[in-house]
Amino acid sequence: MINGNLKASYADDERVLDNSYKKAFVYGMMVVLAGFAAFANDYLILVACQMGIMLIAVVGLNVVIGYTGLMSLGHAAFIAVGAYGVTILHNLGAGTVPDAVMPFIAVPVAVAISALIGIVVGLPSLRVKGLYLAVATLAANFIVIFVIEQDLFAPWTGGMTGIETPAPNLAGWVLDDKREMFVLIAVFAFATILTVQNLFRTRVGRAFIAIRDRDYSAEILGISLLRFKLTSFAISAAFCGLAGALLAYFYASILPEQFELALSLQLVAALIVGGMGRTMGPVFGVIVIVMVPEVIKVVFGAVSGGDPSVAQLRAPLQEMAFGFLIIFFLMFEPLGIVHITDRILRALNRWPFARG
Amino acid sequence: MGQILQFGINGLMSGAIYALIAVGIVSVFKATKVVNFAHGYLIMFGAYFYFTFAVLLPGMSWAPAWYVSWEPAWLVEMKEGLPMFSPLGAVLDWLTNLPRVIIGLIGALAANAVVGLIIERVLMRPLMGQSVFAMIMVTVGLISVMSGGAQLIWTADANYVPSLAPNTPIRFTLFDTQIFLFGTDLVNAVIAVLLFGAIVAMVQFTKGGVAIRATAEDQSTAYSMGISVPRVFARAWVLASLTGAIAGAILATRNGVSPSLGLFGFSVLAIVLMGGLDSYVGVFIAALVVGVLEAMTQWKFGGDWAGIVPYVAVLLVILVRPHGLFGQKEVERI
Repeated sequence: MINGNLKASYADDERVLDNSYKKAFVYGMMVVLAGFAAFANDYLILVACQMGIMLIAVVGLNVVIGYTGLMSLGHAAFIAVGAYGVTILHNLGAGTVPDAVMPFIAVPVAVAISALIGIVVGLPSLRVKGLYLAVATLAANFIVIFVIEQDLFAPWTGGMTGIETPAPNLAGWVLDDKREMFVLIAVFAFATILTVQNLFRTRVGRAFIAIRDRDYSAEILGISLLRFKLTSFAISAAFCGLAGALLAYFYASILPEQFELALSLQLVAALIVGGMGRTMGPVFGVIVIVMVPEVIKVVFGAVSGGDPSVAQLRAPLQEMAFGFLIIFFLMFEPLGIVHITDRILRALNRWPFARG
Repeated sequence: MGQILQFGINGLMSGAIYALIAVGIVSVFKATKVVNFAHGYLIMFGAYFYFTFAVLLPGMSWAPAWYVSWEPAWLVEMKEGLPMFSPLGAVLDWLTNLPRVIIGLIGALAANAVVGLIIERVLMRPLMGQSVFAMIMVTVGLISVMSGGAQLIWTADANYVPSLAPNTPIRFTLFDTQIFLFGTDLVNAVIAVLLFGAIVAMVQFTKGGVAIRATAEDQSTAYSMGISVPRVFARAWVLASLTGAIAGAILATRNGVSPSLGLFGFSVLAIVLMGGLDSYVGVFIAALVVGVLEAMTQWKFGGDWAGIVPYVAVLLVILVRPHGLFGQKEVERI
């Protein structure tokens, strides 16, 4: 609730950035990110890149879980498809297609493949809901990873041992530096958030929300569940595919085990921690989910001082931290961090007249 | 023909163990409407507890000699002069391990029941009355907590744990084909089937079982009829942990103890959905079918293909029958 936010026309009311605070925030963030890219040190850039990649995936997941109300525990599969898709296309096209145009072909194709697989995985969503769908997507995740690991496809996917990934060459600009990758990732992450925000001003986005709130009512209103549930899966898989493509460009190599259930759980954890069905939810969630392991790493570095017997406890602790975050937020703040910031912003806005 | 029978019997035996794992998921679902995504990790804890009480504790310096290996005079005497790999020798070997097996099982049951109670009391009870979705997501969070926790507590992987029954090879002929089984696998399967039957009978005939079924039917009505719903919840979780402990001990003897045991929970979850979440019979049949299918896949395509059989099967079944083979269609009020 923002005071003095009078709209005189429908066009004003329907803007993505419908008030001056939002405008200031978005343009301000652009400046901050540009400054970050120029001045931050290498470690911060590395962490920020991880956040950006994960952010794109979580925003995609938010479309399915937060806005359409379909549970998915298998979105890591789409990231895998995107990452492997780009790598395989690069390897296939090497020699015939000039490197400078390769990313412009590989990324859209990989994203399209992800979207297609998203539709296939989304098919059970027509018959089943909630938990059954969660297990169906979980099963799909296992199957995709299994296919990637097969010896049969090893010439293309590298099998269990993983595969080296190319560095992108955007029309002559080779992004072999993490800082350059950060620019690319930040642009895509920013565009993703705005695209999804825009999606929910449209007919399609409203249909998603109607399905989430009550699927039977939505159907009675004339919304085709078949079409919109599959669209929702396709859109979210496409964003996850994009995240996968960037992940392949960002790291020197990829392994199938990177995309197993643990990643799917991280995505869901980020969404729950941040807040489902809200624009800023994935942003806050991803910041927490990426920062927690880093903080644990720093604390452990300080405590253990390089003692290997203490250091080997780090990985299990990081794993447990994700679980505790999910449980803690579900029990004490089910609407996520967005709900906390909402309360703070509301208090600020009403200050000094009313609090809370 | 011969191979089919051999692999079919192997499949049935592993299917029985799947059924034993599945009974934990179904019981918790029936009572609380929560599908426990972390059941596999409860089983992993059972396996680790069995490992602790059957291997780690006897390895301590203060452990009494009979606990480490039980060798009364008559046993040593019988062992003398036996040829290598004789069936009687396997039985006698098992007898020396018997105290470890028994204490291991009791310890695993007790410790796992405590874990189940803690989960119910600390995580599930406060969420009672809220959306089931939140409770299910809490169990999803439990996956990470338990898998990380196990690695924190038990740092090393273990390969050997004493088997529950003498590991005598059994050979017999069925329809003119030589069948070869291990005694321990057979006993494991029998234990699994008996426990499954006992739990189904308990839910069907005892007072506590009727309370579970009444709660499954309608929680608030059950509450108003004087059934203590929180106690039913606690009982269901303890039941799941107890079957999980036995299943964990069995899996530990078959596959060794490692954090990857938790993954069994997901394939069994697939089996449960295939059979129908609220149907013991359906789940039992689905478990046996998946067990046999897995064995056949292993025979025809090799071991690693067997791992995805439950997932492919559940996707196919859900597409055709959304509520599983024998599951009741949920009636939704609009």
